[in-house]
Amino acid sequence: MASCGPVVVPSLLAEGAGVRLSSRFLSTFLGARFLGYLLFAALAWELGVLVALPPAPRLVMMGVVHVLLAGVLLWYAYSIGHARPQPRPGPELVTIGVARKRSITGPAALGFLTGLSLCPPFVIAGVRAAEMDSAAAALLFFAVFFVGTSVWFVPLVSLGCVRRSQAVTTVARMAMALIAFYYLYLGSAMLVGRKVYGY
Amino acid sequence: MDTEAQILKPRETAPRSLGRSVLLTLPITLWSLLIFSNSYRQPNRSVEIAGIITAVFMMALFFMMMRTWSTYRWRRWFFVALGLLFPVGFIHEVMVMRGSMGIPMEEMIAGRTPFCYLPIPLLILPAALTKTVVFPGSILPGGGMSGGGMAAMAGLWLAITIVVGKGWCSYACFFGGIEEGMASVPKRAKLRKIDPRWRYGPWAVLLAMVLLSLALFEPAYCMWLCPFKAVSEYVAARNTVGMIQNGIFVVLFAGLVIVLPLLTKKRTQCAFFCPFGAFQSIFNKMSVFEVKIDPERCSPCVLCQTACPTMSLTEESIAQGKTLMSCMKCGACVDACPKHAAVWHIKGTEVAVKPERARLMLLYASWGMAVMFGGTIIAQGLATILHVFV
Repeated sequence: MASCGPVVVPSLLAEGAGVRLSSRFLSTFLGARFLGYLLFAALAWELGVLVALPPAPRLVMMGVVHVLLAGVLLWYAYSIGHARPQPRPGPELVTIGVARKRSITGPAALGFLTGLSLCPPFVIAGVRAAEMDSAAAALLFFAVFFVGTSVWFVPLVSLGCVRRSQAVTTVARMAMALIAFYYLYLGSAMLVGRKVYGY
Repeated sequence: MDTEAQILKPRETAPRSLGRSVLLTLPITLWSLLIFSNSYRQPNRSVEIAGIITAVFMMALFFMMMRTWSTYRWRRWFFVALGLLFPVGFIHEVMVMRGSMGIPMEEMIAGRTPFCYLPIPLLILPAALTKTVVFPGSILPGGGMSGGGMAAMAGLWLAITIVVGKGWCSYACFFGGIEEGMASVPKRAKLRKIDPRWRYGPWAVLLAMVLLSLALFEPAYCMWLCPFKAVSEYVAARNTVGMIQNGIFVVLFAGLVIVLPLLTKKRTQCAFFCPFGAFQSIFNKMSVFEVKIDPERCSPCVLCQTACPTMSLTEESIAQGKTLMSCMKCGACVDACPKHAAVWHIKGTEVAVKPERARLMLLYASWGMAVMFGGTIIAQGLATILHVFV
């Protein structure tokens, strides 16, 4: 949760209010993250030594993921602010549930990339997965790992109760941009092979 | 009508009487003498002289506040002095202790990083979730270079904040004075149209830094974005990362603390960037002191809005008779209002009834704190300079 927090919290706040909407955002995010996990698990088991790869290729992989994450965050922060309002139906139609269509691309892309990024517990899980006897066991291990880590996201649904105003969404979008620049720096530093704190 | 006459008469006609002004300054005089009495016993002559000068300075400013009914312009002298003299004393101390302004990684690992109040909001989440303080300093006194330890600074911050709320940013912060000084240099602002959405900047920086601090397990703001590292203590640049960090500190300091205040006449770092300021805004709800706009007297001429250094007044808020929660209680709007519609107020009392009493109560609390906290920092900086000559 701590590792994904900088991605998920501001992007959730930048979205509209409502527990249902937050639940939908988180479900999409976690679902895509699960896919990322499974892909990583399959690769970890297939290659066996993915996390024990020489530092250079591993840094390149992590660098690419971070740069992509930064790009998606920036795009998402920009697109939320410039989303064109959907044509509103007449008042009589509101009651039959014509809701504004929301794209799942943003939360899905963010979830997938955070699923691929190597946070410390994830690396440990990757090592364990690589030691499993079969790909199925590795996938099962990652599925359980996913469930265990996803529980921490449940309280974030309550962010849907925060009343949305221009202030809240602007703050969230600005924070997303700041965090994106940090990831961009981190990813670029990894790609050019410089040492970065914590890695 | 009586109340109105009581408020308007003295401020519009003449300064407060000399005797009354002296009498009102008496508590601060005694407090200043008490705080700086230690310096008179110092064998070091520069410390002794610095203590005397600071005590007189603080008393004189308070006297002028009483005499002229004005808060902002006298408070600004103190605040600018604090902002300019803090780096002098601090840099001297780190140079003596360490021989360099740069703090090496091994010093951080050993927990010898001096602690300021800016990272306080960044430490809360990691401490609550993991019972770990993500700052490389000492919690208890005596363990770190600063001597006081984190607990002392946090305790001091909490005590002051409960009373004056975001008044901390006008009477205690030892960083904001530099930009306030810069903002007061030009007669007119060259950049007048500022997108009001920049006011959300501090909240965005706060949100991003709190989340990154939890993710990285380090005070992210101190590591990456603090402009005041440029004039206090930076990361020892032994590698590319250190160079980049220091480059960011210098660029932010030059932009937010020097150039933009000169162009806008606003405290741009405080208004658009400082995450601690955003955090302090929350405590404004707790403090009993605030500024109110009396709608019966307000024209509205928006002079208060123009004078506010942090854009904490908008046309909507003026119409509602209040400031935004980012108000730092500096007094600029109160002093600027020609009709005395902007008034000091104590929550729970009637608006615009005896506002001078509310101002006095705020000033005794905040100036008492300013003498104790800012005054000692000013004295330390002065002593450092005087040491060269005496």
